[in-house]
Amino acid sequence: MEELKEGGIVLHVTPGWQFPERHQKLIKERSLRVLYFPVDDILTRLGGKAILSNVLLTAFVWSMLDQEVDALESLVGEKFAKKKALLELNMRCIDEGYSFVYPEKGKISIGLPSPNKEFSSHLLVTGSEAMGLGAMHAGVRLYAGYPMTPSSPLLSFIADLENKTHMVVKQAEDEITAAQIVSGAMYMGTRALTATSGVGFDLMSETVSLNAMIENPTVFVLAQRPGPATGLPTWTAQGDLLRAVNTSAGEFARCVLSVSNSQDAFDLMPVAFNLAEQYQITVIVLTEKQIAEALYTQEPYDLEKAEIHRGTLVTGPEKLMALKSSNRYDPNVEGGISPRWLPGAEAATYCAQADEHDSKGDVDETWGNARSQMEKRMRKFHNLKAGLPEPRLSVASHGKKGADWISDEDEIELLMIGWGSTNDVIQDVMCSEELRDRRIAYLHYTYLWPLRTEELQRLAKRAKRIVLVEQNYQGQLGMLIRMECGLDIPDKILKYDGRPFFYDELLSLLLEKVADKAKGGSVFASTSSKEENVLGPELAGLSS
Amino acid sequence: MNTTLQITPRALSEYYAETKCTWCDGCGNYGIWSAVKYSLVELKLHPWQVCLCYDVGCHGNGSDKIQGYRFHGLHGRVIPFAAGAKLANMKVPVIAFGGDGATFSEGVAHLVHAVRSNYPITFVLHNNANYGLTTGQASSLTWQGQPMNTNPNGIPERTLASMDFIFALEPTFVARGFSGDIKLMTRILKAAIQHRGFAFVDMLQACPTYNHFATHEYLLERYFDANADGHDPSDLQRAKTLASQVQDRIACGILYQREDIPNFYERLSPRQGLQTTCVEEVRKYDVSDYWRKLV
Repeated sequence: MEELKEGGIVLHVTPGWQFPERHQKLIKERSLRVLYFPVDDILTRLGGKAILSNVLLTAFVWSMLDQEVDALESLVGEKFAKKKALLELNMRCIDEGYSFVYPEKGKISIGLPSPNKEFSSHLLVTGSEAMGLGAMHAGVRLYAGYPMTPSSPLLSFIADLENKTHMVVKQAEDEITAAQIVSGAMYMGTRALTATSGVGFDLMSETVSLNAMIENPTVFVLAQRPGPATGLPTWTAQGDLLRAVNTSAGEFARCVLSVSNSQDAFDLMPVAFNLAEQYQITVIVLTEKQIAEALYTQEPYDLEKAEIHRGTLVTGPEKLMALKSSNRYDPNVEGGISPRWLPGAEAATYCAQADEHDSKGDVDETWGNARSQMEKRMRKFHNLKAGLPEPRLSVASHGKKGADWISDEDEIELLMIGWGSTNDVIQDVMCSEELRDRRIAYLHYTYLWPLRTEELQRLAKRAKRIVLVEQNYQGQLGMLIRMECGLDIPDKILKYDGRPFFYDELLSLLLEKVADKAKGGSVFASTSSKEENVLGPELAGLSS
Repeated sequence: MNTTLQITPRALSEYYAETKCTWCDGCGNYGIWSAVKYSLVELKLHPWQVCLCYDVGCHGNGSDKIQGYRFHGLHGRVIPFAAGAKLANMKVPVIAFGGDGATFSEGVAHLVHAVRSNYPITFVLHNNANYGLTTGQASSLTWQGQPMNTNPNGIPERTLASMDFIFALEPTFVARGFSGDIKLMTRILKAAIQHRGFAFVDMLQACPTYNHFATHEYLLERYFDANADGHDPSDLQRAKTLASQVQDRIACGILYQREDIPNFYERLSPRQGLQTTCVEEVRKYDVSDYWRKLV
């Protein structure tokens, strides 16, 4: 009820239902229209089972939306084509629902705008489907997974297309297996993917550590939902950022990135595999239930843009024959990235060794070797960090194009920092009537680890106020930022109830922030450790 | 009699590694290690043509004592890694090695599903009935009544009947070797590597340091080549009996084998008729056909 808009409609099917007082208050305040639809009466009359209320209600809503009844009839007709008796009953429900009129109210109609032809070639796609398409585009040929919401839709989507893609798809016995199968397949030289969620990723984390030691490129999708434990299995969160950055034994280079909608869910899959192969590291791609299962209207993907980069992969007989076993893990190699060649290639062989090893993969526990191999692997981290894009800046404006004021050195009234699914709602809010003329900016992090902070620090100096917007309790991106550059962002809008940010609530929270009337509290957990941080953020090493 | 020598030493030398062996005197790993090299050479495989995957355990310390594309991974996880490697490139023979500790405890689920999946790989169980590498703790296959590290009074659990367990999973290849008979192990391994599906090879091996019950002498006295005795590997009932009744004599050789069951890869409808491997198929794909139903 709380999520209904002004003038919204409440349709219910319970005879004589009394709304609790707080709902009655809402109904009054927001001028909600309450409609009781007599499902039971109609079904008794038709002699239909309760399940038919689905069709009945759909038909009623269909008529409210002024849609053609033929379209609904043909949809239902397809579904029950082989069940004649059921089909007839369903069609009668459509008649009843569609023609239902309240004697006292007349026909209720919610005029929808007619479909915009501009979108007729667009896709209606979930974030999971976008990611699956992106993975196929990137040349992923093997997928192994274990069902767990909200990562399962990706497994289902890829499995459903297996006869077209000819991919190897394996539903494994557990997440450990899925991770190991994918790692074995990547070691062999294909592109393979797995995805999981919540505690499923705990089971995969030992394999992340394994791949770090054998420098095996791998990509793991971590679809976030609220925890701990089973938590809220079918709700959304951004609670696994620190885990993605820190999970598993030992110190090693990895890359963490996060999708935010159906566009970058597609775009980032080739990027993830390229990074994994170029640096011979694990890339963890974060998504959220909100992205994984939300439907997006998506313009057809650009199939030219992506490139396939396989890093230092050695192919071709001559180059292979020139290799020595000790090339594989040579600690002195530039950038820490050694040549990689694949089992089955006619060349000197090596061991992908999970024990600390020398350049050939032979076990070597000497102190000098331990140092040089650790330094070799960590050199990749520093180079990776230098090569990753900075966070993306967008600003409040009338259109999608962005205002030009951001290029100057003027003060930024409010700088928001976020990642993942919050991007889209923030973009919408910044274009709102109320905020589009304000000097508000949003810095969106796609590449979360290694974390680049130069752009942030530059902008922070110009920002009157910085607000962190995240869907977790601790403000995990804020913690990473503070860890990496000392910038503390005490002003936070945090949501951790499993629900995504909604436009209205975020707008009102931001209006509070820009009106500067917030006392540090919000309906969620908007915390300010200082009385007010109108003086700007404390920047370690920069503030006097 | 003048016989022409089959020139294999040169090929065997391809598998030499510089790394020195650190196994204990009398360890069964020496024999298994040798038999693996012999079997690969006799199958005319160069090191670059094979993928050898090692679990964690004393046997796993052999990962750098042989040539070949090798992998030495995490405890209990070798089977799914090896399966993934094989499914990605069906042209490369994949052999996985694991100890009885890892295989029947931490990794037991992987074993179950590997047999069930009939992955086209060979699995060699280094069976010394204890955790040798971690200094002699009891495994699921340690006998009752044997004082072990962490079980000074013997194990309170029952010993797992590993062969009954394996046969309950409807395997397509079960063999048993003994680390003291390299010729027998070589014959078994060659057949296992050529097997269509998942080949389970139980190598009974001595652990002179920690296993004081099934010693080298104990195994030596009891083992025999069942195939030489006329056992037909297609005889399931006889195979089960031979596999599990080991009190007096221990039947070795290829106990059970059938080639009429398709392996996991062969059962994948989308891969039917494809000549390429997943490794060869990595490129950018036009996916517009896949999104057609979403428009």
